[in-house]
Amino acid sequence: MLLSGQVEPVVILEDSDDDFDTVCEAIRRMGIGPEVCRVTDGDACLTLLSQRTAQLPALVILDLNAPGTDGRETLRRIKLDPAVQRVPVVILTTSTNPRDLDLCYLYGANAYHTKPVRYPDHLRAVEVILRYWLGDVTRASSVVHAS
Amino acid sequence: MVFGRARLVSTSQPAAELPPWEQGPYSIKRHGLSISNCDAEPVQTPGCIQAHGAMLVMRRDDRIIVQVSENSAAILGAAPELLLGASISVVVGVTGELRLRDLMARTATDANPLYAFTMEPRGDAAPLDVSLHTIDGVAIVEFEPVAHGGGIPKDGYELVKAAVGRLRGATDLQHFCTIVAEEFRELTALDRVLVYKFHEDGHGEVVAESRRDDLSPWLGLHYPAADIPQPAREIFRQLWIRPVPDVDGELAELVPLVNPDTGRALTMTYCALRGPSIMYTEYLRNMGVTAGVTMSLRHGDKLWGLIAGHHYSGEAHLPLPVRAACEMLAQIVSLQHQAVEAQEFLGYRLKLEGVHQRLIAQAAREGGLAAMMDGPPMLLDATSATGAALYANGRWSRVGVTPGDDELDALARWIATRTEFQSPTLPVYATDRLADAYPAGASLTAVASGVLAVPLSRSRRSLILWFRAETAQAIRWAGNPDDKPTVPGPHGMRLTPRRSFELFLESVTGRSLPWQSVEIDMALRLRTFVMELVLSHAERVADLNAELVRSNDELDAFAYVASHDLKEPLRGIYKYAHQLRDDAALQGAEQTVKLERLMRLTVRMDSLLDSLLHFSRVGRMALTMEVVDLNSVLAEAIEIVDARRSERRNEIVVPRQLPTAFCDRIRVREILTNLLSNALKYNDKPVCMIEVGFAEPHEQGNTTGRPAGTRGLTAYYVRDNGIGIESRHADQIFNMFKRLHGRDEYGGGTGAGLTIVKRLVQRHGGEVWIDSVPGEGTTFWFTLAQATEH
Repeated sequence: MLLSGQVEPVVILEDSDDDFDTVCEAIRRMGIGPEVCRVTDGDACLTLLSQRTAQLPALVILDLNAPGTDGRETLRRIKLDPAVQRVPVVILTTSTNPRDLDLCYLYGANAYHTKPVRYPDHLRAVEVILRYWLGDVTRASSVVHAS
Repeated sequence: MVFGRARLVSTSQPAAELPPWEQGPYSIKRHGLSISNCDAEPVQTPGCIQAHGAMLVMRRDDRIIVQVSENSAAILGAAPELLLGASISVVVGVTGELRLRDLMARTATDANPLYAFTMEPRGDAAPLDVSLHTIDGVAIVEFEPVAHGGGIPKDGYELVKAAVGRLRGATDLQHFCTIVAEEFRELTALDRVLVYKFHEDGHGEVVAESRRDDLSPWLGLHYPAADIPQPAREIFRQLWIRPVPDVDGELAELVPLVNPDTGRALTMTYCALRGPSIMYTEYLRNMGVTAGVTMSLRHGDKLWGLIAGHHYSGEAHLPLPVRAACEMLAQIVSLQHQAVEAQEFLGYRLKLEGVHQRLIAQAAREGGLAAMMDGPPMLLDATSATGAALYANGRWSRVGVTPGDDELDALARWIATRTEFQSPTLPVYATDRLADAYPAGASLTAVASGVLAVPLSRSRRSLILWFRAETAQAIRWAGNPDDKPTVPGPHGMRLTPRRSFELFLESVTGRSLPWQSVEIDMALRLRTFVMELVLSHAERVADLNAELVRSNDELDAFAYVASHDLKEPLRGIYKYAHQLRDDAALQGAEQTVKLERLMRLTVRMDSLLDSLLHFSRVGRMALTMEVVDLNSVLAEAIEIVDARRSERRNEIVVPRQLPTAFCDRIRVREILTNLLSNALKYNDKPVCMIEVGFAEPHEQGNTTGRPAGTRGLTAYYVRDNGIGIESRHADQIFNMFKRLHGRDEYGGGTGAGLTIVKRLVQRHGGEVWIDSVPGEGTTFWFTLAQATEH
């Protein structure tokens, strides 16, 4: 599936530089070039989204354990906000806590992935996410239509 | 003693025949000798007065005389027929009439006799004291010759004040009563004054007396309840003083006997001249009494006792001021007596309460009601009980002298059926004569004639009992209480008062000292304390539980956060090592080996963290218990370990069908998965042989290490022909992260598998143990239920 010509950006909530670097490496290896907007806390993520309601991002990737407003609360607010709730939100986290799993799906997460410790596995996880959500899936239009 | 004593006698008139006065108004003079039952005598409407005075009854509004005592000619100088229908002024003059009218207008005269004035003497007769009170719409005017008591001070107020001052010096109730007797004798100048106390069963006892020196003492004598009939007691709840100045005096009947306006008999309750019952005067006469006065001693509405004055040397006319002083003093004495008694109770009460509070504190500190019996202090301290027993948590604790456990069981069961013990507000059972109500108590009188019991729980199974031993008692009766003299009368046998007052000793068995109301109160209060303690204990347990749940949750959250935070650097380390290794391919094999070692360490650390998390979850998750077919569970477990099975030759044998078990299917599958996986791993034989089976309760099952508590349960096993475990290691294999072999031997692993097995088995209430021969194999045994024995 062609991923070029992708215009909408991908928003990533990730407070770890190392893990963000892994995401960038995965994108580089895939040879695609979506704009990546990185935020390091939940409030920044919500602010960014509220400024982009005219043209929403293609995908939001959330780490759960972010400083300040964490990923769980960020997810909840995104899915409660009619202006942004149709953006796919994918959780990429270290947590294997079943409570987190239940909570995220309850709040409306589109997918839940755990970060593997092995680097190649981690790269593959990011690649799978991006390939699926930027390529395989038909997403809702990023432009808001008056209804 | 005070009043005539009489009982209903079976030989009296036929029941169908009404008492003669039922057909017309009652008069002592006409009917007083026909009384067969003193409790029925209409003493408040006797129709007669004591003839040393005279009485007029007039209408309130026009002061016309409607009834006159038949002796009016002798006292007032005019026969009844001259007075009836006339104005009261005919007797007291116009001025007198005005003063009586003013008295009625200005003061509350209803049921309240007041001195009005003294009438000048007619000729050589004595002057007359006139007093008045109103009742039922009429005014009763009484005329009494002024008494000349020798040396009587005139001021009643001064008399009372001095007496009250002396009463204040009383040290205790007994002392107080003695002062009362002395003060009243001083005031009345009578030969003997008694303070007479009513016991619970109505019989009386002389608790204090003051007497002329030559008279024999009556102190401590008991008198049967019937000596003071019910109607007399009723009057003393309304009246403070009752004089009978001449026991041998004549009676004068009212003319007419009923009020002509209403047709009703006159209520004479408050008349100082009210005619006494013949039974009463005969009774006094039998005791040699020639004049008497009685005052009541009350606690609120309750008649506590009487203060009785007896004279043995002729008439005793107490002047009006003295009677007024007596009346006032009786009221003050009643109030102070109650206060002194309360004071005495309070001291005892405080002592008991102090002990009880220390007991409760002790029980609270040591977490058990039985601590109340260990002492000091002890349940028996401060009380005058001789033994106590507490039933709590299914067993008796005893202190002092008590019945044995079996006797206590039976007694407790019987007490639980008493209605007073089941009262929702004041559940208490108290007796000073257990054997009277409880036949089995006859053999317990030596230790438990008296029993006081309060329940400590709503179910009434837990309770406290106090015991009192039998007290050898002899009651000193004034005369045989069962003496019932009768004499022939106009309507068959009639009762007469007792004639003998000779000391009669009655010895009493099977009784203890009675429980005082303060002791019963304190038992009930102790019960309240205990129930609050039990309640607060339950609350504390609930609080601790809530606390535990919270701390468990926190621990859980902590485990996840910790593992998350630990994993993040691990991921970084692995990543950079990985990248370095890719770059280092050029630099040489040595660095490559080191980097790969670094990466293996991070992976291992990762699995340790996962195991730790899993273990914490195993301890927390609720089990879903159901009846499970273990054969299907085993099949699933075998499927899960399939990957490992493919690595070597193996055979899993199930010698007989597994039974069903009540357990959590998923957790038991995990137990089997771990044990199978261990059996496959730790094996050096060419073919790995695994046997899965069970031993029913009656089977030995060929195991040596079986814990005693598991006998009676089905035990399951997984047996292998693997490397075995040396017995010195047997205890350690279930420890977290404990490995007996090198990290990379036997396929590696975190060393958490058996720890998790043990935890899962324990969650089911079961136990896990091993039998092993090094080099030959190991059998892992486990049970899945709580042992019921032990």
